[in-house]
Amino acid sequence: MTRTNLNRFGTLIAFVLLCIGFSIAAPAAFASPANVFNLVQQMATLAIVATAATLVMTISEFDLSVGFSASLAAVICFVLFGQGYDVWLAVPAALLVGIVGGAANGVLVARFGIPSFVATLALGTILSGFAFGLSGGQSLFQSVPDGFKSLARGDVFGIPVLGFWIVAVLGIAAFVLTQTEFGRRLRAIGGNAQAARLAGLPIVRDVIVTFAIAGGLSALAGLLLASRLGSVQHTMGEPLLLPAYAAVFIGTTASPTGAPTVAGTLLGVAITGVMVNGMTIVGVEPFVQKIMTGVIILVAVLLRRVGRAK
Amino acid sequence: MLDLSGISRRFGATHALGDVSLALSEGEVLGLVGPNGAGKSTLIKIIAGADRPDAGEIRIDGKPVQFHSAHDAYAAGIRVIHQDAPLVPGFDTVENCYLGRAYPRRFGRIDRKAMRAAIAEVAADIAPELDLDMPTMFLPPAERQFVRLLRAVADKGRLLILDEPTAALPAEDAERFYQVLRRTRERGTSIILVSHRLDEIADFCNRAVVIRDGRIVAQFAEGEVKPEAMIAAMGGSTSERSTRQTDTSAPKIIEIDGVTAGDLTRPAELAVHAGEVIALYGLAGSGRSSLLNAIWGAIPWVGRMRLAGADYAPRSPRQAIAQGVSCVPADRHRSGLFLSEDLVFNKTLPLLSGYRRLRGLPVPDVKSERAEFLVAAERVSLSYRDPKQLARTLSGGNQQKLIFSRWANRHSRVMLLDEPTEGVDVMAKATIKDIIRAIAADGNAVLVSTSDRDEALELGDRIAVFRQGGIVRIFTRAEASAEALSAAAQSREAA
Repeated sequence: MTRTNLNRFGTLIAFVLLCIGFSIAAPAAFASPANVFNLVQQMATLAIVATAATLVMTISEFDLSVGFSASLAAVICFVLFGQGYDVWLAVPAALLVGIVGGAANGVLVARFGIPSFVATLALGTILSGFAFGLSGGQSLFQSVPDGFKSLARGDVFGIPVLGFWIVAVLGIAAFVLTQTEFGRRLRAIGGNAQAARLAGLPIVRDVIVTFAIAGGLSALAGLLLASRLGSVQHTMGEPLLLPAYAAVFIGTTASPTGAPTVAGTLLGVAITGVMVNGMTIVGVEPFVQKIMTGVIILVAVLLRRVGRAK
Repeated sequence: MLDLSGISRRFGATHALGDVSLALSEGEVLGLVGPNGAGKSTLIKIIAGADRPDAGEIRIDGKPVQFHSAHDAYAAGIRVIHQDAPLVPGFDTVENCYLGRAYPRRFGRIDRKAMRAAIAEVAADIAPELDLDMPTMFLPPAERQFVRLLRAVADKGRLLILDEPTAALPAEDAERFYQVLRRTRERGTSIILVSHRLDEIADFCNRAVVIRDGRIVAQFAEGEVKPEAMIAAMGGSTSERSTRQTDTSAPKIIEIDGVTAGDLTRPAELAVHAGEVIALYGLAGSGRSSLLNAIWGAIPWVGRMRLAGADYAPRSPRQAIAQGVSCVPADRHRSGLFLSEDLVFNKTLPLLSGYRRLRGLPVPDVKSERAEFLVAAERVSLSYRDPKQLARTLSGGNQQKLIFSRWANRHSRVMLLDEPTEGVDVMAKATIKDIIRAIAADGNAVLVSTSDRDEALELGDRIAVFRQGGIVRIFTRAEASAEALSAAAQSREAA
């Protein structure tokens, strides 16, 4: 195998080895259909948030508000349920809040030139304030309609519903990024914003749309998480932020130019998911799990750097 | 002081360098000339310790040396000066010269006085006009080049390697730079100069070598260094000046009426006819680039413009493109290319919606993109391996042609070109000039902004000279001469 191929497929090979390792260490528990079902369910929300992060990183920006958007959307949805509104109103309203929040990020970045790191951190903090206020700091779980619960629970032909969400969301995102004019423009903006502007691309509009989509996807992830858990806390989305970017970074090690891709991100989500799940099954203590996950990210990115230096 | 014998380097199957031998003595200036991709960069990297030869020997002062890293070469007194080597913008000249060096200390604290004295001593010798205490961000580009030079010399540099040191400088600043370089040489410093500007090599170098396909194909001794001979050795032919006359009966395509924008602070008046090439010549910052950017809609402007008789007021490059204006911006790495994307991506991006298979569905058809790329590549005589290779893998001249190819298969009305041959070798330059003439011959109005006086004379049917934010004079073909252009472009301070 050539060095380029090793570079490209090294991450995938690492993932396969990881699965084989856990299957040998705990054949009954890890490789069982029930655990795979469980794994897919655990990965779904992270995969969707990580896809949002992938889109934003394609234009070489960051969105630190993804977790906060997820929380706020879930809180708004449950507050509306509490007031007797139907799923058909509550869910679109919650998604809309995510999209509007994302678009606001985009406006701050593209129109006012605020670095995305700062703009999305500030706006995300504001969103988390709203989530806190609307929920009153309480856990919300009353009067959740059955229709909402079925969004993320159960299975169709033995495949978890959340698995279909992964396929749908990531499939569309991958298509948009690789096949459409919009995706081409995002890659151009991320590759060289100055050249993209001089080549006549509508940069301001594209950046705002990208952040809006990221906000909408984050909100969707928040709703799916709420549906699966059946309850909502105002901080529930926050732990998604760092693993989402970790997944994107692991994913970039599988792309030829080091640019983020949806497929790479999915691989990154799967690696981190399998790590945590497998180590839990094998009985590794949680603190060691954290250390190991951090080490994996570093090793992946380091190997990539060493591979590219030559 | 430097002696190379039998240096070879191969990458896979390609011989980047084959059996190169060179000697350079103290205070000597050697010109290194060759087309893009000839092996100049590899040779420089080997001398600078950034790459190691597969065979051959390097000797310094007669002793064989082996450079394991750039650090070893640095310790031996070898300094490579890149024209865009970063300076810390907020640091002044003295601090920039001390980057990476041990600071002189006094009672444990950094001794600024000793630093300044050390730098001032060298500066007095080579660049007395340089302000040592001004943060480099406020220095003009030419003086930032002096700082880079000063930094290299002040830290015991014995051999300077300069790669295109004047590519970004207008002729007048280049002359100042060479004065500084001359004084550096008089201190006994040896210099290797790499440049596509062959007249500069001829003026400045004692000797020159021409490299082609990794080998030295010609050597020129003292007194023999002539541009024509070097071009012949590279396998090119000397180009001629434009003899075309402006056809004033042709319709005016673009009319500029009292436009100010950016550096262009005095209202500009200019009309360009169909089929005409007009050169915009002047120093950097004289307003010529700002005028192009205004017509391209890339910067805010005020005034009035007309395109083919109708009002034209672009507020973005997107609007300019929609009205049949095309542009090849200056600084292709920063403003033109997507280096990590492939050639087809780079070609089709600005007019991507023209490649839809199903009308209305914004999904480009890869096959028709590729087909159009092949046609356009042929038209601009792009040399490449594979349409899917990354733009970064092309040589400078081919990268520039790649940007030209964007507009090759559509009918533009106005073509804007900003420094179209910057950092491009002689052969590619000639091709690009042919392309430019062909674009004009198709009935387009062509505006070429350039800091290269000879290029302005060669390309322009008329030449608009810019000085201090405005057009000072528009020369016709018959009136223009090198001296007249320089006199008109020279700013009052420098004159």
